[in-house]
Amino acid sequence: MPDVVLQARGLAKAFAAPSGLLAVLTDVSLEVFSGESVSIRGSSGSGKTTLLQLLGGLDEPDVGEVRVLAPGLGLVRPRTSLGRGVGFVFQNYQLMPELTALENVSLAARIAGVDAGPAESAARELLAQVGLIDRLDHLPSRLSGGECQRVAIARALVNKPSVILADEPTGNLDERTGVEIMNLLLGVVAERGAALVLVTHHREFAERVGRRFVLSGGVLSPA
Amino acid sequence: MPWFLHLALRQLFPPGKRFPAFATVSILGVGLGVASLLVVQTVMNGFGEEHRLRIRESFGDCVIVGAAPIANPDELVAKLRLDKEVDGATAYAEGPGLLRRGDFSGVAGVRGIDPADKRQPARQYVTAGKFDDLDDGRVILGYGLARNLRAQVGDRIELWSPAMAERAEKGKAPLPAELEVCAIVRTGFTEVDDRAALIPLRRFREIWSLGPRAHGVILRLKNPAQAAATAGRLGVGHPDLRFVPWQDIKKNFLEAIRFEKTMLFFLMFIITLVASFSIGSTLFSAVIRRSREIGVLVSLGSGRWQLVGLFGVQGLLIGALGTALGFVLTWVMLFFRENILGSINAVFGDGEMVANVYQFSKVPLHYDVSDFVIAAAFTLLTTTIAGLVPALWAAGRKPSEAMRDA
Repeated sequence: MPDVVLQARGLAKAFAAPSGLLAVLTDVSLEVFSGESVSIRGSSGSGKTTLLQLLGGLDEPDVGEVRVLAPGLGLVRPRTSLGRGVGFVFQNYQLMPELTALENVSLAARIAGVDAGPAESAARELLAQVGLIDRLDHLPSRLSGGECQRVAIARALVNKPSVILADEPTGNLDERTGVEIMNLLLGVVAERGAALVLVTHHREFAERVGRRFVLSGGVLSPA
Repeated sequence: MPWFLHLALRQLFPPGKRFPAFATVSILGVGLGVASLLVVQTVMNGFGEEHRLRIRESFGDCVIVGAAPIANPDELVAKLRLDKEVDGATAYAEGPGLLRRGDFSGVAGVRGIDPADKRQPARQYVTAGKFDDLDDGRVILGYGLARNLRAQVGDRIELWSPAMAERAEKGKAPLPAELEVCAIVRTGFTEVDDRAALIPLRRFREIWSLGPRAHGVILRLKNPAQAAATAGRLGVGHPDLRFVPWQDIKKNFLEAIRFEKTMLFFLMFIITLVASFSIGSTLFSAVIRRSREIGVLVSLGSGRWQLVGLFGVQGLLIGALGTALGFVLTWVMLFFRENILGSINAVFGDGEMVANVYQFSKVPLHYDVSDFVIAAAFTLLTTTIAGLVPALWAAGRKPSEAMRDA
């Protein structure tokens, strides 16, 4: 039986709205195992991004708890394992505009406490793996959308996290580039032995992973 | 180098931009604030130093006076000259006199001095004639007094003393002393220049019927800055004499200069404070603009204090570079101060003010290290705080909110 790398139990989250509290998630539970890929689909405003933020420790649930497997620490709250237990891939890439591709990736390792030399080596290796070895010194403004997302994928993987949380990673890309990025993401994540939680609108992409869920009415259910 | 310092440098000086707008404008603002503060302080120090020097040169480092004329001034002078702190001592006498030249007359503060004393205060301020020509038949006049008498070097004037009135009361016909003007001095102190008439001490004693006595002794000290302490020490054992250090001779005037400097520092401080606030405001905008990046940094595992460091360091760097630029600008502005003053005079027509009002041939300067240290410390502190406030705000936000708001 593979290890649990992500565990969410009874998550609920509501936001203040002019009409009162708006419940986005009411009762969400999820377990993700080592090396597994999971997709979550849902309509706009269904709470997919909120769920991903709760899973990644970028926000706290009102009710329930999340645990993430962090290297050397076991299952811990995601906030304490940011950058190590969890890697993020965002829709808008979210690269630092003043840093080169190499620096963007090595920054994640530096923040996790890795020295400059090893961080740069790891970043270089990952950028080669995502096909950007000739773009190391390029700023994000000099990269295409697909190339930026490749950098973002490399950055998410540089600290060898147990799980990658990808929020609409192809949402800003054209169809062909989207397919390329999805192939790359699934391939690299599998190769690195990490689990993947993929939030997407795209039915085809969602169906390429092992387990599929739909988020609707604040509840997560198998597709 | 810590990652947040590297990122701070990159955010301030993005690659490919020679003069990034935010960094350039902020550093320039701080630099100008620091330069204006230091230029004003340095010039004010210069004025203060120049005035202090003039007070010492005009009145001596320490003046010894008594309730009555000093009975045996030569003995006192000889004794004082033996003191290790005393560089020179000379007796003097002074009293009011009436000067007349033709139809013009004026009241003078006549002072009897030792013409042979090479360190006589007035020597340096001779604007016409020669100080060394002073003898029993000659007089040196202050600039203002000479002007009132319409007297020039070589002209003859009459001097009347109160002692002559006493003689007249005794039935003797008083005759004024006839003296030739041998030099004119201009110290810059109106009260000196408008009243001073210098004659040899021997002649003064004769005209004032003073005998061997003197009204006071002027001391030159080896360390004028310690004049107060030296005066206090020398005064021990002389209860009938008052030892007045130069700092007390024109106390109110010196206090006024000090007060003026403090007020100008305060005004300049506000200018620099405004510059710091504008940096704080700009950094705040930058932090808000970078909200999403802050959220990303948190998602990468950045700690609260690393985020504070990221933006706090930017404020510190702006302060440090602005201060360095301010030092350079200060030096440049002060080096070219005469050209700058000339340009201002050309525009506003206030020419020759420094020369006519302050009697300085050029704008005086005095660099005081403490002014530079205070300006640097104050600027670094305010710009760092200006960076820290938005940094603390940013670091305290939920990453999910930061990413949503951007």
